[in-house]
Formats: sequence, structure tokens, C-alpha cells
Amino acid sequence: MPTRPARSTTRTTTRAAARPKEQPAQHRSEDDPRIMLDRQVSADLYQPIPPYPTRTEREAEFYSLGDGQMFLNIGPHHPATHGVLRLVVKLSGEQVVDVDPVLGYLHRGVEKICENSDYYHVIDQVDPLEYVSSLFQEWAAVLAFEKLMDVEVPARAEYIRVLSGELLRVASHTLFMGFLALDLGGLTPILYSFIERDEIVEMLAALTGARMLFNYFRIGGVNGDLNHDFMSRLGDWMSRAARQTEANTGLLNENEIFVRRARGVGVMNREMALRFGVTGGNLRASGIPFDVRRAHPYSVYPALDFNVPTRLEGDSLARYLIRMDEVRESIKIIDQCLHQMPDGPVMARLPRLLRPRPGRAWGAVEGPRGMLGVYAISDGSDQPFRFRIHDPSFMNLEVVSHLLPGNLLADTMAIVASLDPIMGGIDK
Amino acid sequence: MTFAGRTWGRMSPTARLTAIFVPLALLLAIAAVVAVVLVLPALVNFLGANVPLVRFVVAVVAILVLTIPTAFVLIYMELKVIARVNLRVGPNRIGPWGTATSLVHGFKVLSKEDFAPTGADMPVFTLAPVVTFLASVMTLLVIPFAPGIFGQDFNIGLLFFFAMGGLSVLGLLMAGWASFNKYSLLGGLRSAAQIVSYETPLTISVVGVVILAGTMSMNHIVLAQSGSALDWFVFKQPLAVLIFFIAATAEANRTPFDMTEADSEIVAGFATEYSGMRFGFFFFAEYVNVFIVSALLATIFFGGWTAPFDWPWPYNLNWLAASSIGILWIPIALLALFVGTGVMAVAVRLIGGREWTAPSAFGLGFIITGAAMTALLGLALFIAFDWAQGIFWFMAKTYAFVFTFVWMRGTLPRVRVDQLMGFAWKWLLPASLLNLFVTAAAVIILNR
Repeated sequence: MPTRPARSTTRTTTRAAARPKEQPAQHRSEDDPRIMLDRQVSADLYQPIPPYPTRTEREAEFYSLGDGQMFLNIGPHHPATHGVLRLVVKLSGEQVVDVDPVLGYLHRGVEKICENSDYYHVIDQVDPLEYVSSLFQEWAAVLAFEKLMDVEVPARAEYIRVLSGELLRVASHTLFMGFLALDLGGLTPILYSFIERDEIVEMLAALTGARMLFNYFRIGGVNGDLNHDFMSRLGDWMSRAARQTEANTGLLNENEIFVRRARGVGVMNREMALRFGVTGGNLRASGIPFDVRRAHPYSVYPALDFNVPTRLEGDSLARYLIRMDEVRESIKIIDQCLHQMPDGPVMARLPRLLRPRPGRAWGAVEGPRGMLGVYAISDGSDQPFRFRIHDPSFMNLEVVSHLLPGNLLADTMAIVASLDPIMGGIDK
Repeated sequence: MTFAGRTWGRMSPTARLTAIFVPLALLLAIAAVVAVVLVLPALVNFLGANVPLVRFVVAVVAILVLTIPTAFVLIYMELKVIARVNLRVGPNRIGPWGTATSLVHGFKVLSKEDFAPTGADMPVFTLAPVVTFLASVMTLLVIPFAPGIFGQDFNIGLLFFFAMGGLSVLGLLMAGWASFNKYSLLGGLRSAAQIVSYETPLTISVVGVVILAGTMSMNHIVLAQSGSALDWFVFKQPLAVLIFFIAATAEANRTPFDMTEADSEIVAGFATEYSGMRFGFFFFAEYVNVFIVSALLATIFFGGWTAPFDWPWPYNLNWLAASSIGILWIPIALLALFVGTGVMAVAVRLIGGREWTAPSAFGLGFIITGAAMTALLGLALFIAFDWAQGIFWFMAKTYAFVFTFVWMRGTLPRVRVDQLMGFAWKWLLPASLLNLFVTAAAVIILNR
């Protein structure tokens, strides 16, 4: 079993021992134990090697350097990692040889917190998981609980859910476009996408009262009916949404530099995608038309007419284009929702304290990043006995260590950004 | 105690200072007069005998002093233009329309802690920004700003430019190596590879111009294009302009070729560990580089300080000059300033209403009058002197290219390292060789 390289910690101690005690104190940096400690600590910090003996064969293999190779920490604080993802990259020149993603910097134990709060409170606990599109996380939890309790959701509430969800999907995908461009060095698309997203977020703030963590869905409906402020903003936005999307994507789609950097990079084939449980746009970019909205229909999606865009290439460009196609489909869905929206209540009548019968339920929705699932077990009390969150970003990120090797360091960003991970959901 | 001692004791501090400094100033004045009488003729003789040396020293000082304002203007321009591209407002807090923002940036950079990492190679770490900054500033020496306004007219001016441009890579490499940081190392190595690769097509692309002009002196290259815009080399060497523009973008480390400080890949490249004024030197060098590259484009291909069409000026404004009124213009101008300020103040008060109190009305009146008189003076200079026109056309052309570089930065993403190198060796180099071959063949055939 290979051991990790020994780090010398003896230097300070020998030097301190060798110094004669009678000598008067001088302020030399070599003698100052604080500075020496600082140096030792910083020397250790430069090492990407974990501060424990290697535990698995894979770890031992990864942390032994070959000839001409070096480790490079990308993250947890790096301009291009989305959140606190840390990739320890083994480089040979500019070429990536191996990758070890290090997770857990944002771990909060949300599942356990949810198991200790009652069913109503779970909704605002799961909100910050997918902080870019938090309605979907609420939706998955609410869907599982409704199955657990056999709640009939009013039709208007379902339409409002679809409407707000698709709006947020557009916002999330637009933001994805901006960050992908930013990671490839384009300064401008990120600001265009933030303008677009800000309009949607303000719209949803008019509907829900919050800009980011909405806490809007309820078991059996939604928190409030559509209001005038929201509808006027929505009408304003819908009048030019499609045109605006074309204008924003035009800056990248017709850009030779962008297309050349994204095409053929990080190709994920069908087998790999299926083996790792990849879902969402990343899966559809690899040629598998799996969409939870079609495959396991929920809410009012069966009544709506939309396509599931699919591409065969499986590279970064395909993952980007798929999402831009989905934006167009979402705008179509929003239009249909507005036309089909029935009148009626937005909340089912439910007791204040929910105690579902013992049982288990699986609720899954199609989030912007893939299948967002919640598996809930009830033991008859007012708290879920088990609350398991299936996060698509986590599954998608697993592919990274198989996509990156062989590519250049610059492609690391193109690939990771095109997978669109959200660290809040990954670290839970 | 003597009389002098008693008097000294009774004197106030102000009187003591006066008693010390007035005789001292008198002495110094006498010494200065003596020195001028004795030394000045010799000095003038010496300077007159060594005009090139004087010119060189003055030029170096002027250029060193002028680079910082140039960098400030460019930084402000970049902030503002990219903001407009991004649909933002940009800096608008400090100074009118935020014009003093880059000045404050400069002070901020000066007042920051001069940090160096533990493992840094200190001599190299300290020298790297100096090398980079000087290499780019020295290039300004050979650029002709206007007829008669240039640092030095080398007969190898172009070669000097490329030599200095090649030197700047050394500074980046030193910074990358000495920082004791892997990101810096990658950035330094990238810059070495990139600049060495792009130097080749950059140099070969201007050889066509050298063949056409028959000289490497920048002044003579400009003179070879005098006449109208049709005489500019851009119409005789269109391919070379394109190659030069692309390669110069890479040479100045600008988007889309800003590999060396690709912030989404290697944090800040060679500058990762630099802070304070050390970073400031890199920063200034980058913007001075942009200016230089634009100036060179304007000089070599777009006629430098020559006007784009047949220009009837300079007119001889003798009717304004010394023989008729001459020195009287100074009191007239002062009088005009006073009268104009008063008239403008009254006008401001009448138009603006009661809230314009006397100080603010006079202030605005002074600003308006001063601006108008400055504009008049500029116009008179522009009409009367060819160097003023030269500076105008040169700066107009140069800033047009600076704007293009800033525009590109706002629009384009970054290319990948291998694409960058492949582009240089597979496309730019053959194209520049082709351009050279065609130019040489045409010159030989047409001259026969």
C-alpha cells in the first residue's frame, strides 16, 4: 500500500533546540515561532494532498504524481467554480490527467433537518438546495407529500405551479447561458442573462413575495393566487420573451470562438450517461429523450403541448443548445398555461396538523438540471420518518471525473459549466 | 550674553524664520545669477552640440510622465465602453461622468499593501513588473505623434519596436516563475508560448510595408503615405493589416487572446500574487500596450499623422501674430476671460433663476468662458500649426483602434490555448509569408 509523501515537520523544532538559551532575543523571522508556524502551515496548505493516509486504492493512485505532473486546486475559491466545488486536477502541462472532485463544503444535513420538522416546514427547508430554481425543489417535496396523503390539488393551483415553474426554468437556463459564456471568457452574456433573469425574479417576487427562496408551494396548492402586478409584468415580458431569447443567444450561437470551444468537448455518450444516472438536459444532449414531464407525467403536463428537444452529439455545445431549445419550449408552455388557466381555489382544504398514514411515496419533477426527486416515508407522526432528496446536479457532476481527463485545463471550465451544477443541491 | 544673542531671544518664531530664510534666499539668488552667467553659455554650448542626447532625455522623461495619464484615459474608456456594451451605466460617481475613477484607482493601488508570498523569489518578483512596464513604455520612443514630435527617429524603428515587444514577455515569465504559485506559472508559460508564436507573423506582416516604403524608420513610413487616404498602406497591404491586427491583439494580451490572465481558468495568471503598485505596473503596462499597438496600426497602415484627405491647412495666421498685435494678445485674453466670466454669470443668473447665487453663477460662467477660450485656442493651433493637426489625426486614428480593442473585449469569449497556437502557426504565419511573397514579387515586376 503506497503511503502519502512524508512532510517534514522537524525543521522548526531542530532549529529551536539548536539555539543557545543565553542568547538575547532578537527579532529575526527565522527564530519567531509564529512566523515559522505560519510558513509551515502555508507550506502544508499548498499541498492538495488530504491530511490523512489514503483510504482507497483509487485515492492512492490519484495522489501519487507521475513524471512531469502536478496537482492544481481549482476551487473551492476560484472564479470559475460555481459555488464551492473543489476539483483537484492532476496536470501534465496544460493537459488534465486525472480529476478528484472534493465535495461537502456546503453540507448542512438538510435531509435530517427535514426529518425533524413537520410536513409544512419541510418546504422552506428544501428551498435553498437548488437556489437558482428553488420552486422545483419545493415542487418535488410537495408532490411526494401529496402522494403520501392522497391530496387532490385544485386545477388552478396546478396551472399556477406549472406557470411559475416554467418561468423559473427560463430564468435558470438563461443564467446557465451567461455563466457558460463567462467561464469561456465572454464578459457580456452574463449581464444580458442577469437582466433577463431579474425580470423573471421580480415577477415571481410580485407573486410570491421573495426573489430567490420563494417558499410558495404548499401541500395541496400554492400560497396565493395570481395578482395584477405579476400578470402585468408577465404580459410585458411575454410580449418580447421569444425575441429577447433569440437576441441573447445570437451573441453566442453565431460566435465562431464560442462554438469552436464548446463543440466536441466533454463528449458524454449514451452508455456513460445512463450508467451515471445523468438526467435532464445533459441526458437529452446525449440522445436519450427522457423528460420526467413526459415519461412520468405529473401536474397538468399531459394537457400541455410541448416538445422534448434532443440532440445526439453529447458535447458541451449540445448541452448548451438543448437548454436554449428548452427555453423556447417553456415559453410555449407559459403561453398555453395562460390560455388554459381555469378559475377556482388555489388551495385544497387540509387540516392544520398533517399526520399521513404510514407509507412511502416518490415524487419527481423535471427541474432545470434534471430529475429532482424526493422519497418520503411516513411513520404516522407529523414528521417524515425518512426524507431522501435525489439531486440531479449530484448525479450530473459524477461524470466530471470521466469527462475531464484528456482535455485541456481551459476545457475544464467549459465542461463543468455546461453540466450546470448547483452546489447547494450537491452538498445538501 | 551678547547683543545678537539677546535680540535672538526676544524674536518671535516667525521673525526667526524670516531672519534665517531671507538672507539665505538672497544668497541663493546671487549664486544662481552667478551660475547662470558663468555656466549657462557652456551648458547651452554643450546641449547645442548634443541635440540628439537632449532630445532623447527629454523624450524619455516626457514619455514616462505621459504613460500614466494615457493608461488612466484608457482604463476609464474601457470601464465606460464595456459598461455600455453590457447595458450598464459604468462608473459615474467620482468626477463628472466618473472621469476621475481611474485616478482614484491609481491612488488605491498606490496605498495598498505590497504583499509577497512566502516562497517568492524576491529579486525576480520585484523586477518583473519593472521589466514589463519599461519594455512597453520604451516602445513609445519610436512612435511619431506628429511632424517633429517623436522620441527618436531610428532608422531601425520598427525593429526596435519588435525587440522591445519581445522583451515584455520576459517580465511576464519572471512574474510567473517568481510568484511561487501554480496559476502564475501556467500564466507565465502561456505568455511565453503565445508571444513568441505571434511575434513571427506580426514581424513578417510588416515586412511588406518595409519593402514598399523602403525604410524601417517610422517617420519615413508615415511620409511615404502622405497625400490622401488612398495612399495609405492599408489599401496596398490589406492582408497584412488583418494579420497585424490579430497578432497585435495577441501581443498585447487582449481578449480573445488573453490567455495569460484568463480569470476563469488560471485566476489572474502571472499577476495572481501581485498587489499594490507592483500589480499597478502590470496594469499600466497592459493599457500602454493597447495604446502602442493601436498607435502602431495607425502609423504603419493608416497614415500616422497625415490627414485622410487633401488638407488645405496649415494657414499662415500672420494677421494674428507678432508683427501686428503680438504680445498684446495676452492682456486681451485676460480681459476677455474677465469680461466673459461676468457676462456668462449674468446670463446664468437670468436663465437659471434665483437659486444660482453669485459664487455658483460666477463659477459656471468661468468654466464656460474658459472652455470656449480653450476651444478657440485649440482651433487656432489646429489651423496654424501642422504639429497640432498631426496630433489630432494621430490620436483620432489611435483611439479608434483602442475603441476596437475594447469593443472586442466586451464581445468575444476567449480562445483555447491549442487553438491559439494552431491559429498562429497554421494560418497567420503562412498568410504573412504569402503576403510578403506577393508584395516582393509585385515590387520587382512593377519596377522592372
